[in-house]
Amino acid sequence: MATNWNRREFLKKTSAATLAAMAAGAPVTSLLTSCNSKTKATADSVILLWMAGGMAHTDTFDPKRYTPFTPGMDANSVLSTFKPVPTILDGISFSEGLESIGKIMDKGTLIRSYVAADMGFILHSRHQYHWHTCYKPPQSVAAPHLGAWIAKELGPKNPVIPAFIDIGQRLTLGEGEELKAFHSAGFLGNEFGPFMIPDPTAGLESVQPPDGMSYKRFERRNQLYKELVNQSPIGEYGSDYQKESLKRSMEQAYILLNSPEAKAFDLTKEPKENYDKYNTGKFGLGCLMAKRLVEQGARFISVTTEYEPFKGWDTHENGNTRLADMKKQIDGPVAQLIKDLDRTGHLDRTMVILASEFSRDMMVEGRPDLKVQEQVQQPDVINELKNYGMHRHFTDGGSILMFGGGIKKGQVYGKTADERPCKTIEKPIVIDQIHQTIYHSLGIAEDAHYVIEKRPFYTTQDGLGKAEMELFS
Amino acid sequence: MKYSSQMEKHFKRLILKKKVFVLTLIFVFIVNPLLIINSFAGDAPLAASGDVPLSSSSNSFWLWNFLGRLHPLAVHFPLTLLIVVAILELATIKRFHSKLRPAINLLLVGGVFSAIISVVFGLLLARNGDYGKDVLGFHQWTSIGAVVLGATSLFLLFNVVKKNKSNLIKPYRALILVVGIAISVTGHLGASLTHGTDYISSSLPWSNDYEATPATNFDFAAFKDDSVKLNKKEELELNMQVKSILAHNCYKCHGPEKIKGELRLDSKKMIFKGGEDGPVIVAGDPIKSDLFRRISLPANHKDVMPSKGKKLSEGDIAIIKFWIQKGAPYPEGTDKETNYRVAKLEPRNPPLPPATGNMHNPVDLWVNEYFKKNKISWPAAVDDKTYLKRVYLDILGLIPSPEDIGNFIKDPRPDKRAVWVRQLLNRNDDYAMNWLTFWNDALRNDYTGTGYITGGRFDISNWLYQSLKSNKPYTSFVKELISPEKESRGFIEGIKWRGVINASQRTEMQAAQNVSQVFFGLNLKCASCHNSFISDWKLEDAYGFANIFADSSLEINRCDKPSGKYTNAKLLWKELGTVNSAAKAAIKQKQLAELMVQPADGRLYRTIVNRIWAQLMGRGIVEPVDLMDNEPWSQDLLDWLAFNFEQNKSDLKELIYLITTSQTYQLPSVGFKEPNQLFAKDYKFKGMLKRRMSAEQFSDAVSSIVAPMFPDSVVSFIPFVEKPVEKAIPAKPVNNKPEVKLTAAQKEIADKLAAEKRKAAKKLAQERTEAGRLIAYQLFTNKSILLYPRASLVMNNSFLTALGRPNRETVSTYRESQANLLQALELTNGQRFNAVLKRGAENWRNKYRQGDVLIKEIYRKALGRDPQQKEFAVAKQMLGPTAKSEGIQDLFWAILLLPEFQIIN
Repeated sequence: MATNWNRREFLKKTSAATLAAMAAGAPVTSLLTSCNSKTKATADSVILLWMAGGMAHTDTFDPKRYTPFTPGMDANSVLSTFKPVPTILDGISFSEGLESIGKIMDKGTLIRSYVAADMGFILHSRHQYHWHTCYKPPQSVAAPHLGAWIAKELGPKNPVIPAFIDIGQRLTLGEGEELKAFHSAGFLGNEFGPFMIPDPTAGLESVQPPDGMSYKRFERRNQLYKELVNQSPIGEYGSDYQKESLKRSMEQAYILLNSPEAKAFDLTKEPKENYDKYNTGKFGLGCLMAKRLVEQGARFISVTTEYEPFKGWDTHENGNTRLADMKKQIDGPVAQLIKDLDRTGHLDRTMVILASEFSRDMMVEGRPDLKVQEQVQQPDVINELKNYGMHRHFTDGGSILMFGGGIKKGQVYGKTADERPCKTIEKPIVIDQIHQTIYHSLGIAEDAHYVIEKRPFYTTQDGLGKAEMELFS
Repeated sequence: MKYSSQMEKHFKRLILKKKVFVLTLIFVFIVNPLLIINSFAGDAPLAASGDVPLSSSSNSFWLWNFLGRLHPLAVHFPLTLLIVVAILELATIKRFHSKLRPAINLLLVGGVFSAIISVVFGLLLARNGDYGKDVLGFHQWTSIGAVVLGATSLFLLFNVVKKNKSNLIKPYRALILVVGIAISVTGHLGASLTHGTDYISSSLPWSNDYEATPATNFDFAAFKDDSVKLNKKEELELNMQVKSILAHNCYKCHGPEKIKGELRLDSKKMIFKGGEDGPVIVAGDPIKSDLFRRISLPANHKDVMPSKGKKLSEGDIAIIKFWIQKGAPYPEGTDKETNYRVAKLEPRNPPLPPATGNMHNPVDLWVNEYFKKNKISWPAAVDDKTYLKRVYLDILGLIPSPEDIGNFIKDPRPDKRAVWVRQLLNRNDDYAMNWLTFWNDALRNDYTGTGYITGGRFDISNWLYQSLKSNKPYTSFVKELISPEKESRGFIEGIKWRGVINASQRTEMQAAQNVSQVFFGLNLKCASCHNSFISDWKLEDAYGFANIFADSSLEINRCDKPSGKYTNAKLLWKELGTVNSAAKAAIKQKQLAELMVQPADGRLYRTIVNRIWAQLMGRGIVEPVDLMDNEPWSQDLLDWLAFNFEQNKSDLKELIYLITTSQTYQLPSVGFKEPNQLFAKDYKFKGMLKRRMSAEQFSDAVSSIVAPMFPDSVVSFIPFVEKPVEKAIPAKPVNNKPEVKLTAAQKEIADKLAAEKRKAAKKLAQERTEAGRLIAYQLFTNKSILLYPRASLVMNNSFLTALGRPNRETVSTYRESQANLLQALELTNGQRFNAVLKRGAENWRNKYRQGDVLIKEIYRKALGRDPQQKEFAVAKQMLGPTAKSEGIQDLFWAILLLPEFQIIN
């Protein structure tokens, strides 16, 4: 290579430099007082598979009595709109369409008792904000995303790969502004914010030289830039920290864009056979990218089915037919992701979580004992297929899958009732516990916090969240 | 005499031997280090290619480091010896050849040699140590001077003693006295470097720094040594930290609401009284103190505290331990006393120091006082080019064009800086578009954001823009926000999300918090959930203030739990007056608005002048700008500015004029190694900070040099041209008559008319569209025509976010100036930026056919100067032989990313 950049050398230095930069922070964030100790970690990376829009547990991972569609049926009698299909675990069935995931459940834990927050009249983005930050909006302090906390506490695992990567969510759709409010590092500062890849098929574009620029030209541009910097009477310009951060970040960007790791973003480099296994659309390819990135040392990746009001899992009508589609999107890729990570040994140190902001039910909006304003017309007698499905927002039960990074294998945790209301009846688990469980696996202390505007701001509300140790093996 | 002649011989021998030695020493140790110093002085930090030096000392030879560190040890020999020589010469002033002569001679030889060695060590140390440049420079040169003088005096003495040139006695003695003084001075400077300039003076009770150097932000947890004695301030700080730990971890069960084990930890009396098992604290003995024992138990122990919830962190436990070791100090006076610094509310107009010499600007007079007190000298003002870039960016948010720079430099008027600032301030639209960003951040106003989708938020852009454009007096500005009309209601109404929200975030409480933060530099956020642990503000105060924005009193919630209690609507300071608690919100807000802006409310005016100061100088007189109870670096300056701002019709532009035309503003900018130095307790003002262009300033600069950064389609707010007037199309006459048959001729005329009408309508539609398109950027002010949309008017996007534009969900009063990877990626391969560079490159290629001309033009437009020869060569290489647009694009990129371009010097 015609470059005098020594990448290996750089990597060695960056890890130290990154630490130094984190200690220094920016003017605002440098005021943060770190109070954080580390514990022993069982995971180094996290993949969050986000089922955006409210995934009904009774039609996915916690099927109940199945009632096929017949015009004139009583809505109240419908608990599940798909057949249950046995999984590899004894006595545990998943809803039809999730057979592949059912076959890998011996590699992880199925949680059937997630209880979402009660925040009144449902707004998806508020619940999503809460799920990802552990804080209910609005907040007087900008709360950081789970991924931002991890990026701040642990930094990148491989210095050239951004610590927090978000795949599949466009922020230009409905409720985009609300999504932006938590797709953010909040008070921790932009440095720890998400590296957004809205479209995984175009992922490479985010990490290669700009459109229409050859690597050769990119190289040359950078070389001459450095020479101009050297020639410019720069000594006089800027504080050391400004100059240093400017220089360091430009070098890092250059190295990322020119690094072999960047190829991880290039899905066309995946063998066709494997590519096809993942290719169920944007989400599936996002899983493929997550796999490739974890193999190269990514820290936190979120892959989403993408939230857009009334799309995806946000089924206000045609719940049954639409869920069949959604399952097709996720079943193969999720199972393949776990299998691939397991085969390469990465699953041991990578925690994979599949979750949604809340669940759905045909009849109950909110909680059975605390119903909220209804948003979906549900006739008591179902005549049309479009009314056959879980259309109301249900917060009192839900399913989460967790794999790897020390999570117990083949476990089922918690239980929901078999009759309506299908709410959590055993081992309820809330978001603070889920977050702390993730942090625990990464070695981030339960009381990790920063003091912002003189207020101690914890990873979970007031630092009270507890990791659920039963989830670990 | 015989004895003395023997001594003379001895002395002679000694000197002869040493002569060779001295020469060797001089060569090895003085000349050589000077060369070393030269070599690193020329080595600008960024010039080092490729690798990042983490620490300058890490790669130097160990022996130099070792010898350097001997400097503080070695200096005491020459210091003492030479001063003693001077004293002895004074003591024997009447008789040169006294009994002491041989001793003096020996002392001087020893003194000079050890001084030389010390200087050498010192130079080695200076290479590696992180010392302040100013003091270090003084110390270095006075030391070298003293040594040279010392050596000269030794030479004179040698001549006196050896060659009996008694006429040299007087010069020698005069010189040795000078050496004595010089060595004392340099010794003091050296001590200042090691211990800080106020090391001695700050321990004096009458010193100005005595109060100003408390050890707040003290890391007590790190204190292993309990022999340390704390001063009063430190005790206060320690106690505050302890109280904060107790509050966050213990009050829940041992506070006013629950009193488990009959123990309360929320007041001094209760803490020391203890619980059902007796006292929990034995002052001075942590091991015997039950409180310490129980918090340090392992998590599963039955006695561990807190029994529920998480264990205290190591650091917290260490602080409690240290506190008990120190005798558990709990300074608490009468009710009125406080542990927190509270700034005075009332205005103060300190008498202005008399104008001296060419110094007239009140800002300078106060800074001059401050400089005198802190022994800081006035450096020369910055040159015209630097000054012009500053005022352009600070007032208009734009960079000056090469023509502006040329005209300014050529302008012969002695008061041209003031004249130009006045002209810039008169460019009302440009000014408004720049300051819009500052206020949008502070008032959390944005064109997009949460809440808008459900009608839970209102945009105040138009009101804000017009207020800035018309330079609305700050009093009216505040009043219209507090007691709003429809157009300005967004700030008080806050952001409302659908659903149930935390009591401390209801919109009335948001209003209370945001008004306190923005207008009073006061953090009410803690107190809106529970009594604050960081100030004296109580939950009730927060609710009292929030009630002003509520139609009926809000139920007080403590940590989101209803308490059944209510309080009256009241201001945070009763001195400011009262509102009618029973009235509707609109009336109370109107009363509040009037009370807030009254001259007696010094806090309001101090807060705003401090904000403007911080915006112009990079750091406030008080920092953080949102905590106005903190100590200013100059109380007089802050008070004077606030008082006179209020007196001067609270005219923001006049305030900006006053500051930007001061010599203080024209001081060279100051850089820092670490950002946290800006907030350090011992911060001394020496001039504005080196700042980085904001996201908006950078974008606008790119727009003006290369090509518009933002298309019209992302412009959210079009403030300045009146909405295109609807050209009235004559209303269709009501036609009740039955349709008449037209003749062919009539029909032809009618068709023609109709066609004309259609044509007119089409033309109008086209004009409208065009106007709509042009409106966005064709702004005619009295000075400029902008041909691109300003960044402050566009909706937030990934480019602006990466460069630091906040999402305006909360009040935001700082921008980060540090670069990071996400930002660098956006600049390196971001689509928007690269597309703009590409487009600009094509335009430039068509405009400037010759590469040489083009390079010069880029340098002039972006950096306001011609390229140096070497730069020109590199740029030429980048462009390639034919100056294709690819080359131009790459050159743009390289220049715009130069720190020289991005940093406001």
